[in-house]
Amino acid sequence: MDKNHIWIGSQDLEMTEEFVQQSQQEFQTNPGTEIAEGALELEGGRRDFLKMLGFGLGAATIAAGCDTPVKRAIPYVVKPEEIIPGVATYYASCYSQGGNAEAVVVKTREGRPIHIEGNAMANGTTGLSPRAQASVLSLYNTNRIQAPLKSVGDGYEALNWAGFDNEVLSILKGSRNIRVVTNSIASPSARKTLAAFKAKYPNTEIFTYDPVSYGGMLEANTNSFGSAIIPRYHFDKADMIVSFDADFLGSWLGGGFATDYAKGRKVDPAHPKMSKHVQVEAHMSLTGSNADNRVLVRPSEQGAAIAYLANEIVGGISGPKLNQKAQKALKKVASDLKSAGSKALVVSGSNNTYEQLLVNEINNALGAYGNTISLSGVCTSFSGDERNIDTLISELPGNGIDTVIFYDCNPAYDFAGGNKLADAVSKAKNRIALAYTPNETTALCNYIAPINHYLESWGDAEKYEGETMIVQPTIGRLFNTRQLEESIMVWSGAAAPGSVDFMHDKLQGQLKDGAFASQDKFYSFASYWNAAVHDGMLKGGSSSYSFSGSSLAGIGDKVSKPSNAELEIKFFETIHMGNGNASENPWLMEMPDPVARTSWGNYLAVPVNFDGVRTMVGLNGLEDGDMVEITIGDQSFTVPVIQQFGQMPGTVALALGYGRKNASPLGKGIGVNVNTCLTTDKGRTQYYNTKVSLGRKLRKEEHFSCVQYHHTFGVKGTDAATGETINADEAATVFVTYGAVQQGYQGSLTERSIVYNSHINDLDASIADLEKRRANAQYLNDKTLYPYDEYVADKYSQGHHWGMHVDLNACIGCGACTVACMSENNVPIVGKREVSRHHEMTWLRIDRYYYGDVENPNTVYQPMMCQHCDNAPCENVCPVNATNHSSEGLNQMTYNRCVGTRYCANNCPYKVRRFNWLDYTTADIFPANQIDVVEGLDKPFYADNLTRMVLNPDVTVRARGVIEKCSFCVQRLQAGKLEAKIEGRRLKDSDVTTACESACPTGAITFGDFNNKGGDLDKKLQSPLNYIALEEVNVKSSVTYTMKVNNRDETLDA
Amino acid sequence: MNLFFTMHIQVGMIIHKLFNSNKLVLLLFIFPLILSAEANPDAGKVTFKNYCASCHAKDMKSALTGPALANAEEYWADYPREDLYNWIRNSQAMISAGHPRAVELWNEYKPTVMTAFPNLTDEDIESILLYINGVATGTYGTPKVDPAAAGAVEVEKKSSNYIYYILFALLAFLSLILSRVINNLNKINAARDGIPYEGKTMMQTLTSKGFVTFLLFGLIILGGYATANKAVDLGRQQGYAPEQPIKFSHETHAGINKIDCQYCHDSARRSKHSGIPAANTCMNCHTAIKNGSEYGTAELSKIYASVGYDPSTGKYIEGYDEMEVDTIERLFKKWIGDQYLVEKGIDVLDNAGEELVDAQWKGIVSSLTNEQKSDFRGPIEWIRIHNLPDHAYFNHAQHVTVGKLECQQCHGKVEEMEVLEQHSPLSMGWCINCHRETEVQFADNEYYKSYQKYHDELASGDRDKVTVEDIGGLECQKCHY
Repeated sequence: MDKNHIWIGSQDLEMTEEFVQQSQQEFQTNPGTEIAEGALELEGGRRDFLKMLGFGLGAATIAAGCDTPVKRAIPYVVKPEEIIPGVATYYASCYSQGGNAEAVVVKTREGRPIHIEGNAMANGTTGLSPRAQASVLSLYNTNRIQAPLKSVGDGYEALNWAGFDNEVLSILKGSRNIRVVTNSIASPSARKTLAAFKAKYPNTEIFTYDPVSYGGMLEANTNSFGSAIIPRYHFDKADMIVSFDADFLGSWLGGGFATDYAKGRKVDPAHPKMSKHVQVEAHMSLTGSNADNRVLVRPSEQGAAIAYLANEIVGGISGPKLNQKAQKALKKVASDLKSAGSKALVVSGSNNTYEQLLVNEINNALGAYGNTISLSGVCTSFSGDERNIDTLISELPGNGIDTVIFYDCNPAYDFAGGNKLADAVSKAKNRIALAYTPNETTALCNYIAPINHYLESWGDAEKYEGETMIVQPTIGRLFNTRQLEESIMVWSGAAAPGSVDFMHDKLQGQLKDGAFASQDKFYSFASYWNAAVHDGMLKGGSSSYSFSGSSLAGIGDKVSKPSNAELEIKFFETIHMGNGNASENPWLMEMPDPVARTSWGNYLAVPVNFDGVRTMVGLNGLEDGDMVEITIGDQSFTVPVIQQFGQMPGTVALALGYGRKNASPLGKGIGVNVNTCLTTDKGRTQYYNTKVSLGRKLRKEEHFSCVQYHHTFGVKGTDAATGETINADEAATVFVTYGAVQQGYQGSLTERSIVYNSHINDLDASIADLEKRRANAQYLNDKTLYPYDEYVADKYSQGHHWGMHVDLNACIGCGACTVACMSENNVPIVGKREVSRHHEMTWLRIDRYYYGDVENPNTVYQPMMCQHCDNAPCENVCPVNATNHSSEGLNQMTYNRCVGTRYCANNCPYKVRRFNWLDYTTADIFPANQIDVVEGLDKPFYADNLTRMVLNPDVTVRARGVIEKCSFCVQRLQAGKLEAKIEGRRLKDSDVTTACESACPTGAITFGDFNNKGGDLDKKLQSPLNYIALEEVNVKSSVTYTMKVNNRDETLDA
Repeated sequence: MNLFFTMHIQVGMIIHKLFNSNKLVLLLFIFPLILSAEANPDAGKVTFKNYCASCHAKDMKSALTGPALANAEEYWADYPREDLYNWIRNSQAMISAGHPRAVELWNEYKPTVMTAFPNLTDEDIESILLYINGVATGTYGTPKVDPAAAGAVEVEKKSSNYIYYILFALLAFLSLILSRVINNLNKINAARDGIPYEGKTMMQTLTSKGFVTFLLFGLIILGGYATANKAVDLGRQQGYAPEQPIKFSHETHAGINKIDCQYCHDSARRSKHSGIPAANTCMNCHTAIKNGSEYGTAELSKIYASVGYDPSTGKYIEGYDEMEVDTIERLFKKWIGDQYLVEKGIDVLDNAGEELVDAQWKGIVSSLTNEQKSDFRGPIEWIRIHNLPDHAYFNHAQHVTVGKLECQQCHGKVEEMEVLEQHSPLSMGWCINCHRETEVQFADNEYYKSYQKYHDELASGDRDKVTVEDIGGLECQKCHY
């Protein structure tokens, strides 16, 4: 097979006729049927038509005669000094979820937070996880609890805070035993408030658990390091990375490792060197898809695999039996690890204490501590232990526990034994929830204290010791809510109710006595405080830990036992949904899973089997979009299927975080909840189940919302007549025979250049090959009838010429850029039904291609946005000149000119233009064209004024019937230019950043000015690995990609 | 130019000394040359507004803090002109000196003391008096046109219309003759062929297919033209000058008091919006100036009622938002009443005073509330005049700070607008035309160094200017994104 052969899914590999047919069409279904039901059902004849015409004319005449409606301009009464209407204000803050915390910078306009970026001063990167990006939309969630509630009968009664506090206080005073249930808390101050609460009510126990538990790891680390800490991993320093099912580029420990990881993966052709990454797993995780090699082991074999590797490296461990292939591979991995020595790093996502102990032993034996893993500045924010909740469940009935407080957590949904907990909790007389939105747990409670969004709160967070991040409010409270910590302190009698800046004062107090006293940079506390709030992070001292070995006798028997079951299922967190607390956030719901590329629900990943010739068969003959009955333990679900390359035979996988029962319609009933299917081993939750059986194939899913085959380009197909492999759109081109050689026009007959890849050791040959292919493309381009170079000789010789560079070796496919793009550019979400009809509106998509081994392939992620071609085919076909070219090289889209012929989308080789088939943004006046993103919302999603507060006021909200696409964030370019003009200086590349560029945690995207020689972009353009996608079609794209380089060890596959 | 200007003032002064000032209007007709300058009353107007208008009513006929000035000269006619000058320069000195007219005035208006203006020259005072008389007699401010020139324009205008009328009449006449000729020819033909000829009646002609078609065609063209023109105008509101909740006068603030536009509209230099000033910007000055030059307490009290400032004590009111409306009403009514008493020099509120107080309070409440805003407290909701469509992006900073445009270029002579109105059409064509013509501030901005080619061409003389259009100022995505 051709080295550069890439594919996107089994249909592509099989090249079925149906697929070839489909890929030739711009639109999947006949546009005539794309209009909402009822919209075109006009009844009446000629006379009605004339009546309507007459009325219309009359109405228009009257409307024309009327005055323009009065619009009001409302200034401030007292204008805050820092706010200038029309200019964005940025505040440093911190997004925190459970034990995870990310320093962010919040962009506000006229006091409204509208966009979130990473805080480069604290993180060293403006990149961020997709969930943190999307958290700004959660602020405007219409489902928020808006006042303190007390359950009355079947419903709730809204109280004022004073009344609520009185009732809660009398409950607390009268309680014999109080239990507080919480997730890990990253905020030191919040932990102190809970301690104060416990001091006030000594009969209180605080139970911490995490939906996805790190209990096993914490227990092992307590043994190894003497404290329940998680060491700090340095993926940038590692030459050899082995991960046992730890999705560290995704959600493992909240993520945050991508920046470091990418440093070791970027390739400088002058000094070709990159880290080697082996992932040991069954399901293709985001991290696994980025690995060079994947060693396939069943979920229940993880223990055996770790024990095997530990035996190879540490010795003296006899673990359970591992499959032959994995044994062989791990033997080689062990020798590689040993030769990498202290530059090796082994991590594991296991929740088995002994497996984690073995991983610590391996790292110690390799000498990783102090090199790739540091034991100072460690992560102390995780403290969850699922056994706590088991204790609670067992002691609840009849132990005199009359009050349970749920501290911003939802165990009824996300805890493995959530059902049992729900039953047990009902035995307690008083159930109090501190919650943001109604959820499965608040449904159990008779008092609900609504909490603030973090963008409405003061606070702190500390993920790594010595790095305190400040949470700063960016907007006043939208509703009658109260900060978590404040409620607890009021109930502890330590604070007067109603002090808005309670945490602000508390933080100041703490810092004054603590960190400020022990520093000498600032003289006055005020300047110290201002600097801390401005930077968003305070650096302080941290303790050091050291490794001490544990007894390994008999440890081989304590790791998880491989099962002989025919089928196993793996449960995993996706990078966008996590454990499900953001499931009401439609930006995340609609963001496709990076690997499976499914949205709006969890899809059962089934392995595919290659017959060695041409056919790919899914497990049990299941195909994409089939609904299948699956029985896990004693529960049955009907789930849609997605074929997953790289899924280990004999295993399937399903994501956590879906199937909410008590949530807004945006999250409720979407997908299935598999938290109830998790198993327990030695008290530890295990994220797989061996009691699983697949039922029969039922039907096709009604709205199959996988974007995998949407907007594809350059794919191969089979010529129906001859059976030859040709390019899919070849059928539409004309063959002309010159002498003996058959040739064609327009480049579509050439092998399409979408993704190039190379092994790190073949770099020279690959570069030579790339040069040849680019030369060939250039040769073809020179054959044009239109002498482009003469034609635009002077066009971009001065001023700006915008361009972009995307490093495919840095891109991990996390999708943060796609969420940032939605947030920045008011890109609408469309809902499951519309996604299934190829109508998703994303301006930036991340194409996922496989290459290499068909059953266990490597992956390339390719961010694909408008390429701003300087010889753009879309521009030539627009009948109304709605899309045209700017002197700065931008492919401009003017919505008000667009009449919706969609010729441009048809003619775009990259398939990046999006059409507003329906009124997604409710910008129209005709309700018939509006859509329901999900069923059950009171009004269309974007029609709500609260939701609309998230819109970026500098970007037009597009109406139905117009095409839209990536603009290179032209509003940011204009703002950057203006700033330079006002300051009277030349523009630097760093003055203009696109939203995707700043959202990228790995720095994969570089935007800049081609004319700025020596600038950031210009530097990136020097690499010989660079190529232009579809260079041969002569569209003069402004986006440059790099060849994907891997470090695959072929011997591991044998 | 300046020399020319001052010369005319001096000439005017001399003439004025020769004749009586209010006869000047006659003189204007005699010396059209002097008329073209119109220097005196204009200069007087400026001085009046700067020094006098805060106490003397602008209409010259009603009393404010100071007396009406319409007949001032008459009152002083019995005394030498110098006395009037001295009175205006330093009234207290004259009162002390016991000048009969001065003492008479003092008795009427004490304890109100007229501010001394020792810096006013005789010429200044004459200019003011000229302006006062002009306003009082209604001759100032009405457009004065050169009768000869005006006549010419009129004739020209008429003649151009006449040409059309004459042409139309000629054509109508010609077609009438032609139709008669055709008719007669047909008749002759018919007679020659021996066929009895029946000529078409007028009615038949008017209802003939050809004529009706022609008429319909004409109507459609006309209708289409009108519709298209009207449609283009939809949503445009050039000349829009709505009544604002507060009768804020740009003329008083920007014109007379010469407050810089960007003192209040401070966002213009750094933001896309010019910014409607917050009420606390007003309070920067109006904690001191509590009585307006035109409306007294009527308009300024609205600001105080909006922000919660007690003008009587000169302090912001604590807990204003929670205060009973009745308390606030009493507070402001007292202030308005007190000011009335001071102005009238009486101790007890008379009927007129009661009415004034009530009316002003009602004015405060009604203008600070609307359908959406029931409480007069809180922000003042101005009527927005300049409305761009949502899909058009305009940035003030770009134009004001980078382009160094004067505000007046788009907003007109705001400093002369008592009621602000939209000066420009704000249409796309209007923007585009300006971008075609306006030169970029190329020379002194380092940013534009990236346009090396243009700099070279300017240096070599191949190019005489770089317009906004040249650097892409007509492209769609400069304003629409």
